[in-house]
Amino acid sequence: MGKLYKFLKYFFITFWAVFVVAPFLWALTTSFKDFNSVNGGATYIPWVDFEPKLEGWRVLIKSPANGGVDIIEPYFNSLFVTCTASLISIVLGTLSAYALSRFTFKAGFVKNNDITFFFISQRIMPPIVLSIPFFLFLGAINLLDSLIGLIIVYIVLLMPIAVWIMVDFFNKVPREIDETALIDGCNPYQAFFKVVLPNSIPGLIVAGMFCIIFGWIDFFFAFILTFTEVQLLPVKIVALNSSITPWWSLSASALVSVAPLIIVAFIVERYLSKGNLSGAIK
Amino acid sequence: MSKIDLNNISHTYNPNDPEPTYALNPFSMTWENGKRYAILGPSGCGKTTMLNIVSGLVRPSAGSILFDDKDVTDLKTEDRNIAQVFQFPVIYNTMTVFENLAFPLLCRDFEKDKINERVNSVAETLNLQSFLKSPARKLTADQKQLISLGRGLVREDVAAVLMDEPLTVIDPDLKFRLRRKLKEINEEFKTTLVYVTHDQNEAMTFADNIIVMSEGEVVQAGTPKELFERPNTTFVGYFIGSPAMNLFETEASSNDCVKINGTIIKTNTNLSKLKDKKIKLGIRSEFIDIAEDQKDNLLSVEVEKVEDLGNYKLLTAKMGNLKIKSKINRETVVPTSDVKLHIPAEKCCVYENNKLI
Repeated sequence: MGKLYKFLKYFFITFWAVFVVAPFLWALTTSFKDFNSVNGGATYIPWVDFEPKLEGWRVLIKSPANGGVDIIEPYFNSLFVTCTASLISIVLGTLSAYALSRFTFKAGFVKNNDITFFFISQRIMPPIVLSIPFFLFLGAINLLDSLIGLIIVYIVLLMPIAVWIMVDFFNKVPREIDETALIDGCNPYQAFFKVVLPNSIPGLIVAGMFCIIFGWIDFFFAFILTFTEVQLLPVKIVALNSSITPWWSLSASALVSVAPLIIVAFIVERYLSKGNLSGAIK
Repeated sequence: MSKIDLNNISHTYNPNDPEPTYALNPFSMTWENGKRYAILGPSGCGKTTMLNIVSGLVRPSAGSILFDDKDVTDLKTEDRNIAQVFQFPVIYNTMTVFENLAFPLLCRDFEKDKINERVNSVAETLNLQSFLKSPARKLTADQKQLISLGRGLVREDVAAVLMDEPLTVIDPDLKFRLRRKLKEINEEFKTTLVYVTHDQNEAMTFADNIIVMSEGEVVQAGTPKELFERPNTTFVGYFIGSPAMNLFETEASSNDCVKINGTIIKTNTNLSKLKDKKIKLGIRSEFIDIAEDQKDNLLSVEVEKVEDLGNYKLLTAKMGNLKIKSKINRETVVPTSDVKLHIPAEKCCVYENNKLI
């Protein structure tokens, strides 16, 4: 029984690993192929099945004048917009979430839970509903086709995620922690920054990670709100496509675009493990 | 260390209701500097609310609080210089044990040398020296509670240390040692200690004065001896002591006697104004003994059971539909059927409407 269990366990782990890693391996090998290696039947092993070429990768950095797409600028645009919007969303979202968790707000029938739901409801409606208001709004303040305009839109989209995660997290932090800090001599701001916030780092990391993911993968708003001055990575990658699908450069760009998320996942992996997150405050 | 006056304090959590329910009914009290107080009562009786009002976490709906005759009712918690330890350990997870203990001093800008001296002294008192550099989150629950306690004791000039059932998570042996340690700290540094508990043994062994509360009301405040021998209400008689006080429904038969199931029992209370009124006679099981050479105040009862509880025997007897409990010496031989119990007049408490006469 024990042996069978062990065998099945390792079998499923191996199966799952292959299932997860295979697309990456396939993209990696494809990125080094050329037209003939892709279209002349399935090929798997470099130097054996096909001769590896760097053309797929070169296209990404060559200027359009030389037949490339140059994703370097869009790449850094995406990094800048995502990181800035995520950072601002986390700061604003955390402060809002703390207030919603610790203080009682009442305006007519609207109470704390309704305000929290209002934030979450921003993510419930389909993005298309927001596209026209955003377009008109950014147009009115002359920020269409600009990084700042995109950052503003992304803050609106990402802050609900931060509020949602952090309200839940702060609700699990006992109020006695804040009260103890007050008794120990902190004012409410010091209690928040010196005691509650350091205790909430796992929550902040999870919220930050979700903000980064949702910011980084957005195509819809980047496509609608930018034209020629500013481009973000997802829009640029789509522009790679043509009548003959360039699988090699698409694969290379897919790997390049997923790389930051993999790095983020590695960094926060230890905080995502059950022990670290649930044991943050007892 | 301060004298704390609570003047006509009351509190409700729903002040806007037309008929608010009071978590704490109006009361006044003085906590003398350097004494040990226990607030005793069942869960939900308002003990924690009282403590939170003193520490400033809750502002009372009415009344005022004075620290050394200075009104602090509107003073914020952080400006009151008070320490409070909660029922469950509250530690700062991201700090070491040393940083946890030093935190209240750092917040008040103490000198580094003074901080080191105080933290080491408190750590020594609580046997935490070997953990000072460890991350606080890695300690066990009772060690964490020691840190909470240590943060309460680290300031010497604190007005009072308020403790809300602080030893709940600590094992019995350490609990006993810590209670003794707290008493030593109080005797040495004259720190006013206020200890909330629902465990009467804890209250009795710890405090100079006990405040008994029930349903938001302070029902009696006094020394453990006063509470034990002269409970002000039948609630205190029932709540304090194990087993609870024997209480018999009765009526006055003369100026100082009551009749229990036809037997006249003399008391030292003047009952002349209570003739024909329903009253209750209360007597502690510790004061009832098997009659040997007494002639008066005897109740003839039927033995129901005798339990050997280690250092004493607990006799449960019945007289008609009345049940009587008596704590007797282990060595005393108890008859198996009928027995006469002596009720000493000077230990009888008479209650009208559940209040002591």
